Amino acid sequence: MSNTLLWYTTRGAGAVSLVLLSAVVVLGILSVLRVQSTGWPRFLTVGLHRNLALMTLVFLGLHIVTAVVDPFTHLGWLAAVVPFSSYYRTFWLGLGTIAFELLLAVVLTSLVRGLIGQSTWRLVHWLTYACWPFAVLHGVGTGTDAWSAWLFTLQAICVIAVLAAIGYRLMAGSRDPLARERSSYLAAVDRREQR
Amino acid sequence: MAFRGGGDTYTMEIKDTIQDRVRARDAAMRVLNRLTAGAAVSAVVGVGLLGAISAHTIPGTASTSTASTSTATTSTSSSSGLQTSTTPVTSSSSSGVAVSGGS
Repeated sequence: MSNTLLWYTTRGAGAVSLVLLSAVVVLGILSVLRVQSTGWPRFLTVGLHRNLALMTLVFLGLHIVTAVVDPFTHLGWLAAVVPFSSYYRTFWLGLGTIAFELLLAVVLTSLVRGLIGQSTWRLVHWLTYACWPFAVLHGVGTGTDAWSAWLFTLQAICVIAVLAAIGYRLMAGSRDPLARERSSYLAAVDRREQR
Repeated sequence: MAFRGGGDTYTMEIKDTIQDRVRARDAAMRVLNRLTAGAAVSAVVGVGLLGAISAHTIPGTASTSTASTSTATTSTSSSSGLQTSTTPVTSSSSSGVAVSGGS
């Protein structure tokens, strides 16, 4: 395999990974908001979120392997595992390594969710909100094509989509399915205590 | 009798509702599988397409390698040209030697 083909694959897989990761974040936020309709049950959002997350890891793996194997870059495997250990654009590449490791932690803990418990899983899952911006910054700082019109447009679409989803979540608040029951129970407890 | 008839209708309604929900779930699962497969195919195509676009916008080492290849080809052809042109020189010099040897 030629060096240039590896390099182009690295760049293509990196861009696709960012799009997939952004889609995963948006779907995760929509699943928290319990978005559903008659033709789109809630488990569809959750299932797609899970499948795309696993797919993101695959394409991220392709991105990393082609970057490390490429003899032109000489990155080495250490740079893929230890953040800020690369000679090449140390800071920006380090952000990518951190983003990958956070995503790996999020996906692995999701796969063993039953073993680690809901609260631990939720705590680790919050790391996604750190992983995604690190991945975007890595693309902007390290990416050869960062300021090319096509990648800039792609990154802008990803950023706008995720920010819109986060804004929607903040405005909608948490949709607790038992909110009414909880509030009536608390009101009943208050009434009982006042007697 | 009327009560039993009503009970049967009620049971049938529950069965219909359950079957409707099962059908809806199966349809949603099919949609999920299609969407996942579509996303996987799109991602693979995306890697190729975006790789091609990135190669078009910033060829990077591609142009260097093409340049070096063409340079190598040129140098090879020129060296072979030199060799070709050397042969007549050699032959002319040898013919010169032959001439000088003759004198």
